[in-house]
Amino acid sequence: MWRRLFGGARRSRDAEIERELRDHLDLEAEEIAARGGTDSPALEARRRFGNRTLVLESVRGVWRWSWLEQLGQDVRHGLRGLRRSPVYAIAATITLALGIGATTAVFSLTDPVLRRPFPLLPQERLVSIGQRSADCPACEDVSPAAFLALRVGAPSMAAVAATSSWRTALRGAEGSELVEGFLVSANLFSAVSAPFALGRGFATGEDEASAEPVTVLSYDFWQSRFGGSRGVLDSAITLSGKAQRVVGVLAKDVVFPTRADVYAPLVTRPSDAQNYGSRYLYVFGRLADGATIADARRDADRVSHSLAQASPKTEEGWRLVARPVAAFHTEDVALLVEIVAVAVALVLLAACVSVANLALARTAARGRELALRAALGGRRTRLVRHLLVEAFLVSLAGGALGAVLAVWGVSVMRDVVPPSLGAFVPGWAFVHVDGRALLFTLVVSVATTLVFALLPTLRATRVNLSSVLSDGGRASAGVSGTRLRACLVVTEVSVALVLLTGAALLARSVHNMMNGDPGVRLDHVLSMHLSVPRTVPDSAARDFMVRLDERLMAQPGIRGAGLTTTTPLSNTRWGTAFDVPGRTPLPGDRRLSATDQRVTPGYFRAMGIHVVAGRGIEARDDASAPRVVVISHHTAEHFWPGREAVGRTVLIDSLPWTIVGVVTDVRHGGFDEPLFDELYRSLPQAMSRTMDLEVWADGDPDAMRDVVRRTIGLANPAAAIGGVMTMRDLEARHVSAFKLMAGLVGVFAAITMVIAVVGLYGVIAYGVAQRTREIGVRIALGARGRDILSQVAGGAIRLTCMGILLGGAGAFAFAQLLRSILYGVTASDPRIPLAVAAALLGVAIAAALIPAWRAARVNPAVALRD
Amino acid sequence: MAKSSDDRVELLQGTLDMLILKTLLFGPAHGHGIAKHIQQTTRDVLTVEHGSLYPALHRLEKKGAVAAKWDKPPDGNREFKFYRLTAAGRKQLLAQQSKWDELVRAIGRVMQPATEG
Repeated sequence: MWRRLFGGARRSRDAEIERELRDHLDLEAEEIAARGGTDSPALEARRRFGNRTLVLESVRGVWRWSWLEQLGQDVRHGLRGLRRSPVYAIAATITLALGIGATTAVFSLTDPVLRRPFPLLPQERLVSIGQRSADCPACEDVSPAAFLALRVGAPSMAAVAATSSWRTALRGAEGSELVEGFLVSANLFSAVSAPFALGRGFATGEDEASAEPVTVLSYDFWQSRFGGSRGVLDSAITLSGKAQRVVGVLAKDVVFPTRADVYAPLVTRPSDAQNYGSRYLYVFGRLADGATIADARRDADRVSHSLAQASPKTEEGWRLVARPVAAFHTEDVALLVEIVAVAVALVLLAACVSVANLALARTAARGRELALRAALGGRRTRLVRHLLVEAFLVSLAGGALGAVLAVWGVSVMRDVVPPSLGAFVPGWAFVHVDGRALLFTLVVSVATTLVFALLPTLRATRVNLSSVLSDGGRASAGVSGTRLRACLVVTEVSVALVLLTGAALLARSVHNMMNGDPGVRLDHVLSMHLSVPRTVPDSAARDFMVRLDERLMAQPGIRGAGLTTTTPLSNTRWGTAFDVPGRTPLPGDRRLSATDQRVTPGYFRAMGIHVVAGRGIEARDDASAPRVVVISHHTAEHFWPGREAVGRTVLIDSLPWTIVGVVTDVRHGGFDEPLFDELYRSLPQAMSRTMDLEVWADGDPDAMRDVVRRTIGLANPAAAIGGVMTMRDLEARHVSAFKLMAGLVGVFAAITMVIAVVGLYGVIAYGVAQRTREIGVRIALGARGRDILSQVAGGAIRLTCMGILLGGAGAFAFAQLLRSILYGVTASDPRIPLAVAAALLGVAIAAALIPAWRAARVNPAVALRD
Repeated sequence: MAKSSDDRVELLQGTLDMLILKTLLFGPAHGHGIAKHIQQTTRDVLTVEHGSLYPALHRLEKKGAVAAKWDKPPDGNREFKFYRLTAAGRKQLLAQQSKWDELVRAIGRVMQPATEG
């Protein structure tokens, strides 16, 4: 209706204008005829009138009711123009799609992981409070005493809640299984306003020791174990041998503070108020109305101060640090994400520069068209707008294609990171290309238009009309245009150098990591947690554990088995304080500490750890035998360099333990960590009920799952296992974040290199095409093909070298950013940047040879005749 | 015949509006008539470009300074689009004319010594 109304009005007005102009011509013709002197008065009238279409168009323009109509016209013109030069349209769209797609993918990654890890909670009001010291600058864990002090001493927070990670045995029909959970203070769910799918959170008082045991399930756990049945509410499940009533199920995708299966109340005892020394709680607070994070920091400082007064010995050097909850658990990935963000910004820059270059070449080629339009009365603003609209169309196309690339890229990234690692990164579950990401894409697209299109557009519309038209369009690019394009290419080359250097350093690190030796067997080993509940008496638990090695090894397909306190590469480590008699004490009353492994006799063999002196842990080292310890080679060299360590003693918990053997070193923290002192004790002499089991299989370790489960179930139905993974999985979890980051930087570097080389080729080829006539003259005057070749190639080399020199500084800066995460290669090692620069130069010369060769073969006769 | 293009004077921006309004002061006219009138009264010094006349007419119509009507001239039987001055147009003409006089006087003062010398 609307359309018809306005469209109709417009049509009748158009007809009227046409009629008016026709009348004018008729009157003019009559007049000319009356005066005589011409055969064709109508033609003469038309001639005098000038460009009738243009007049018609500008009269219509008077009545045009909005710029929107003009915009529509610009869009139509733009599309037509792009269709006429498909190579430009496709090249620019793809280049921008790469830049925008990479940026969107990285945004989709960083937005949930670094800024909004808990989208279902009021995360901007939540803070995370950790206890940190100079030795532990990224620590999150808080002592019970500090937690209780914060509860009463931080008025800036409406609620302060604590969680503690909890591995518990869930009893099922076919034996028990270890599940992951959190013990949480009763106020946690209300403090973070967690939504529930079913039931409720914990009520005040349910975290007292005398209260009825209750539990809350995560949505995924409810779905997988209870089929999403509502009947689970108020039913009892048995966790760690204790019946607990299910009071609620969290809503879908609610993850707090990290992925978990079950939650139970964290029981606080009066004695906890004095527990300063052991820090094992994650503490969170919700800001009171009107309070800010700065208030929370002030409160945290004040509480730190009062803790230091109450217990100076334990609190020395420690302080409470409040941060937005988004910073929880992300500080170790923050640097990786920052590196990726810098890299992707460089890709986008390179893409914009490259498209600006293409646009410059195109507007130069269109110089005649633009000049003609200006001569026919096109206003400059109109021309600028027209070109910008066209550029914007390219950006939108690039953005749309980029969004598709981003969706694909994000799914690849999600596949690269194993779920077991993703579970430890809050927000990882929310990594996908969502509305925010698409909005971001749109903003980036608009911004890129301005970056890449404004410069060429302003240049193009400033052209001197007469010179362009008379020149046949040949000089339209002009000397300064070529120089500008050369500058852009230099920029592209320097950006490529920065990213290539970073990628090379990271690739070298990944290579070193993958080929590094953690000191344990990685192939054919299955690792899992094993726990014996308190309901099993100590002696029975001990008997079961020490005999497990042999029971498992009796199964076909299993070559070795053993228990240890913590599996290498599993990101956890138990430490113990120890001492060496006769050693000069460390300054400041500090004690020695070492990794404390309690193992069964089969462990060393199963994990491929070799005895280099004395013996390993053996079956005879039982609870009643003399206390013995096996130390790592690094420990032996640390305390008794070049001397015999076997036979000496160390003190653990003030008791003497005799060293009976030395074994090869293990890098617990993975390939990139330094070695620590390490002590191995016999499990019966230092009992623990929560252990890790390692099984060395003949073939595929995953195929051993059922055999192991059955064997354990037969030996002791109360024992629970969980977290079954192969050592290769553990290794992947350890390095996957780094590999993902290195892979992204590598891909980005490759993109920028292609962009740079194509840009270089374009400029050189264009230069040759522009100077064909000049080259022809020179050849006609006796220049040899070789001279022309070397001159053109020399130009390419000069541009590349300028880019390399310029990029050198950037590459150095980028390498400094990477320094702390490089492994087995140093940021200041000049060999890698030099090798990258040489490779870049080689590729650049190869790209320049094609146009150079063409230039050398210019036929002067043909070139001059054109 | 029209004078050669070198002797013609290009209209200053905005003066065309004034000339159109002034022409219409003597009574309604169509586009061709307005162009002719301007050309004749200036003895062919000012040639009205059609590229600017018709857009200018329509701009004035849109602004309400002139009103348009399809009508037959007294000596013919064919309808033309006739423009006539409105009250608003009259007011605009007065304002523009006084501004124009001022401008001419100002320029005259600058140019006077040169033309005397």
